[in-house]
Formats: sequence, C-alpha cells, structure tokens
Amino acid sequence: MTYEEAIFYVIAAVTVAGGLGVVIARNVIHSALFLIMALLGVAAVYVLLASEFLAIVQVLVYGGAVTILILFAMMLTRVRDTAGPMDGPQRPIAALAATIFLGTTVLAVTQTEWRGNTEEATVISIYEIGEVLFTTWAMPFEIASLVLMVSLIGAIVLARGEEGE
Amino acid sequence: MSTSLEWGLLAPEFLLAGWAAFIILIDLFWGGLGKERLGWLAAIGVVAAGGLSLIWVNDAKQFGELADINDYTTLFRVLFTGIGATICILSARYVRDRLLNPGEYYALILLAIVGANGMAAAHELLTAYISLELLSFSLYALTAYAKFDLRSNEGGLKYMLLGAFSSAIFLYGIGLIYGTTGSTQYAVIGEVLSGDTSDIEWGMYLGLALMIGGLGFKVAAVPFHMYTPDAYEGAPIPITALISALAKAAGFAFFLKLFAVAFLPLIDDWRYFIAGLSVATMALGNLVAIQQRNVKRLLAYSSIGQVGYLLLGIAALSQDAASALVLHMIGYVVTNLAAFTCVILYYNWTGKEEIEEYKGLAERAPYVALCLTIALFSLAGMPLFAGFATKFILFQAAADQDLLWLAAVAAFFSFVSLYYYLILIREMYLGEPEEKTRFQTPWLEYTALTVLIAGVFLIGLYPKPVFNVVEDATATIFVSEELESGEDLVGVP
Amino acid sequence: MIPIDNFLVLSAILFSLGMYGVLVRRNAVLILMSVELMLQAVAINFVAFAVYLNPETFTGLIFGIFVIVIAAAEVGLALAIILRLFRNRQISNVDEADLMKW
Repeated sequence: MTYEEAIFYVIAAVTVAGGLGVVIARNVIHSALFLIMALLGVAAVYVLLASEFLAIVQVLVYGGAVTILILFAMMLTRVRDTAGPMDGPQRPIAALAATIFLGTTVLAVTQTEWRGNTEEATVISIYEIGEVLFTTWAMPFEIASLVLMVSLIGAIVLARGEEGE
Repeated sequence: MSTSLEWGLLAPEFLLAGWAAFIILIDLFWGGLGKERLGWLAAIGVVAAGGLSLIWVNDAKQFGELADINDYTTLFRVLFTGIGATICILSARYVRDRLLNPGEYYALILLAIVGANGMAAAHELLTAYISLELLSFSLYALTAYAKFDLRSNEGGLKYMLLGAFSSAIFLYGIGLIYGTTGSTQYAVIGEVLSGDTSDIEWGMYLGLALMIGGLGFKVAAVPFHMYTPDAYEGAPIPITALISALAKAAGFAFFLKLFAVAFLPLIDDWRYFIAGLSVATMALGNLVAIQQRNVKRLLAYSSIGQVGYLLLGIAALSQDAASALVLHMIGYVVTNLAAFTCVILYYNWTGKEEIEEYKGLAERAPYVALCLTIALFSLAGMPLFAGFATKFILFQAAADQDLLWLAAVAAFFSFVSLYYYLILIREMYLGEPEEKTRFQTPWLEYTALTVLIAGVFLIGLYPKPVFNVVEDATATIFVSEELESGEDLVGVP
Repeated sequence: MIPIDNFLVLSAILFSLGMYGVLVRRNAVLILMSVELMLQAVAINFVAFAVYLNPETFTGLIFGIFVIVIAAAEVGLALAIILRLFRNRQISNVDEADLMKW
C-alpha cells in the first residue's frame, strides 16, 4: 500500500465514523459534533483530490458557518434533555434500504469502467477555476446568487419576531 | 477562453430579479401604496418580462454553452410569466388580509419564475439544477409564509425536507451520469449514450434511475409524492395554486427536454418504467382524492393524478407526444388556475375550504360556481373543454407508440376523477347555503377568471393555433440532437 | 496514486449513511444534518469525476462548488422554518408535526 492510500484510509475512516455518529448518536449535540468531524474529513478528502480551493471553501463554509448555525438551532429548539426515543419505528426497513442502496452503488461504481484516467488526479489551478466560473458558468453563478438571496429573504421573513410576539 | 456572452438574451430574467428587488424597496419605503396595489405592481413587472421574452420568437440563440433561447424557451417563459402574473393578481386581496411582509412575498414569486425560466432554457445540467433549486427554495419559503399558521409551518417544513432529500438523490444521479458520459450538456450526453455503452452500463443505469427518482419527487409522482398533500394543504391558497401550476409545468419542461435530448437513446430501457410510474400516479392520485374533505387537499391529489397523464406523455416520447404533452400541460395549467381562482375567491369571502362548506355557492355567486364547474369538468376530461381535447391528442400520441393500454388506463382514471369532482359540484348546486346574500364581485379577479375560462374553451374547441405554437416549440428540442451528432463536441464542457 | 474507485466507494458509504439518517431520525434538525451528509457525498463524487476523468473541462469541480453553495443556503432556510415551527408550537420532532393527516 502506498503512502497516499494509507492516508486515504485513515481520512476515510474518520469521515465515515463521523457520518455514523450523525445518524446513530443518542444525544443531538453529539450528532452535531460528529457532523463537524465528517465535514472536516471531507475537506481532507478534497485535499487528496488535489482541490485545495474546495478544501478551504469546505472548511470555511461548513466548518465555519453551517456548523455554528446547526448548533445554535439545536440549542434553541431543545425541548427537554432526554427527549424520548431518537429514532422512529422504521429502523430495520431503513437500514435495509440503505444497505441495499449501498450494495447497488458500490457494485455499480466498481463494475463500471470509467472512461479516462482512473489512477491519477490532476491539479486544477485556482486561476483556471476562477476564469471558468465567471465566463463559461456565468449563468449558474448568477442564479446561485439569486438562490442565496431567496434563502436570506425567506430566513429573515420567517424567523424574525413580529410585534406582539 | 469562450466568446463574450450575450447577456441581453437573459433580459426577462434580469427584469424579474430587478423587479423583485424593486417591490421589496417599494414595500419598505412607500407604505402608502397599499398592499393590494403592490400585488398588481408585481404583476405588471411579470407581464413586462413575459412581453420581453417575445422578442425571440422564431429565433434560435444560445447563451454560452448553457442555455438555449429558442421557441421552447420562449413558450415556457410566456407560460410561466402568465402563471406568475395570475398568481400575483389573485394574491392581492389574500395577502392584504392575511399575510405579513407582502413585499417579500411578491419578490419570492418573481424569483420563483426566474428559476422556472432557467429550467426550461437550460440545455446543460448544472444550470438546470441551480434553476430548479431557485424555484424550489422560493416555494419552500412561500409555503411556510403564513408564519403563525401551524399548518403552513408544517407544510413548509415537510416540503423542504422532502425537497432537500430528493435534491440529494437527483444530484447523485447527475454525478453518475456526468462520470459515465464526461459531460453535463444534454446533447453530449445523448451522443455518448447512443454509442457503445457496454463498459459504463452499471453507472449509467444507476444514474438514470436516481435521476428519475429525484425528478419523481419534484413533480410529485407516486411513490415519491409523500408530503405533497401536506404542503398543498398548509400553504396559503395562492401559493398552493402556484405550486400546482408553476412547479409542475417547470418540472415537466425540464423533464421533457432532458429526456428528449439526453436520454432518448436509452428510451427502450426507461419507457416501461415511466409507464409504470404513470399508472401508479394516476391510480393513487385519483383513488385517494375520493376520500378528501378539504378542497385544497382534493386539488392536491387531483393534480397528482394529472401528473400521471403527463408522465404518459414522457413514456410515449416522440415529437408528437412531446407536443401533446406540452399542450396538455398548458391546458392543465389554465384549468387549474381557473379552479384555484374560484377557491381563492370563496376563501377571501368566507375563509372556508372544506367541501361541505361550499354548499349553496351556486346561489350566492352563480358565476363563480359556474366557472368552477367548468374547470372541474375540464380536469375530468369532459368533451367541449380543454381537458378532453388535450387528453385525446395525448392518448393518440401514446397509441402511436404502442402504449394504447396505458392510454386506456388513463381514460379509465379520468372517468374515476369525474366522481370526486361531481361531489364538489353537487355541494355547490344542490346544497343550501347558510345565508342567502350574494357575494361582491371583485372586477379584477372576475376578469382573470373569464380570461382563464375562455382559455379552457379555446383549447377545448379549437386547439389548432395553440397546438401549432407548441409544435414549433418542441421541434426545436428534437432538431438540436441531430445537429450536434455531426460535430466533435468531446472537448466542450 | 489513489484509484478513483476509493473515492466513489467512500461517497457511496456517506450517501447511504445519510439516507439511513433521513429515514430514521425524527428530529427535524437531525434529518437536515443527514441530508447535508448526502450532499457531501454528492460533491465528492463530482470532484472525483472532474479531477480524474475530465481534467481539461472540469465541470465536476464547478458543480461541486455549487453543491456547497446550495447546501449551505438550504441549511439557512430550513433552520428558519424549524425555528418558526418550534416557536409556535414548542416541538422539534417531525412526528409531532401531524396536524395534517392522510
């Protein structure tokens, strides 16, 4: 096993452990913390994929903003500390569905002969990313800014307190 | 470095987005305008954007490599702006009386229209997906807009969580298709898929299945329809109308273009799967509608049933079927909006939305009751009305593609739907109203209602002109596939 | 170097975990977190495909950026709705939001 593969397995293990924690943990705050672990693990995965820009964005956006949001929301909506059973009654069916999906996907992914270079990742410079983002992909870029505006408007209108509240 | 982009092609979308900001500012700074007129002002902007999009009739341009501005786009831009303007006008009184923050309400509707336009215009998956999310987010926020109404909160939450889940599934599918074909352009995907695919079969089929699943959620096909009725019931009524018209129409505009260009080579593989979805959707939508007591929920299940007919059009995909599908969609939109106009009017007058509370409407507002009856008959596919003509053409196209059995099933369920529409009609005409006073007639809504009902009759009795327009539009998406096959597009993103 | 399949299997695992979480969890914020997990998996897929298979036109990398944008916006809006529901009704479990039934 090469160096890179060993590092990959370590990072993958951390990320999967984080993901597992999110869906299994009994305490909601623990789940949120496991999510942070998973998100940062994914950032490391991006570094392995030779995409440092994306890794930094991941840490900033997710590790920074999203986790803070989730933790706040979690703390603001706690009903009681031990709030009944965490999971619904469909646990075995859900587990079955997820396992079947996993099996199918892994099979599909390994059986497919991907067309292209499957062994080596190419580094793509941030210069190229920037150039393409504002020219070739200008329309999604503009629409994405509208998506953010909608999210802002919606969040403010819905969550703010009105008079008499 | 690509050539400079013609931003002018997106003028309608820019106008809509700018107008949205303008409405918010007006609401903020000029309170004297009045909440009702704010809605009319919004509608003016929407109509202007629709008018602007007519500049490109019979034109065929491209925006970079991302979107087409051709007859297909123009048709849908006009349709979507029409829907948006109607909803803005219908919302005016409702918002004035029952909702806070009207400026943002109209702004969200305008932005939803931008998203819908993008979905129809895109010929590449990233643009289409981002536009889909723009539309969806606006609708989530609008569904939950009645802040202090618990059903609105609940509907918005369920709609959003389901929407997020389905987006993730859809995206995973897109990812696999991108991985197997190397591109997100519909034309390139179509080209790759029509070649030898034996080495990428697994990824390709899984990607396709996931995309169908994700899209199924978005248009509320069975078995992906779970929280749609809750969203419909909880949302403020004008927004229910918006979702039933805009989200479905935009979803199918996207679905049709994607499958006609990108996945057409695989049609024998997905045709029967989609046909199966169509049957399940028609069955569940129509059968459950029978049990409903709430008008909004009834119309929600009825529109799920209608999605079944639209899926029939996709299963039978060919150029004729595509035209039939778009025609049926236009007929459905017009009829549904007419029905909802009546429902909104009744709610504005009385605040009631249970079927049994509609009793005696024929005495208190005969014109509204008549229009609602016409709309419901049209949805059921009775002759004379839009529903019959469009379904007939659709079934013909299906029969041409050896799907006659599916058309027969659809006709059967059309018949079933008549039953639950008749329940409502019976309440209106045979029930005794609590008071006998006549309702006031708001001229603007009545005009809108008249226009819509006229549309129902026009499509029902003389669909040829509309059909010709639709045929020109769908011809563009089938032609583009042939054009590309002669060129080398492998290097294009 | 690391073969692409490794990344694809990792993303499949994360996606399945997220899917399990959405189906099983009752708290709305936890469901949202599971969806985030699924979106992470999707982004890894896109970036891997771009960087390995299509480096000249790295559509997947751009797609990955946009997935992050959409996911973050989604979290913002969803949490606002959850907060509003909580303030009105003091609940945070989706099961308890059952005013509207069949």
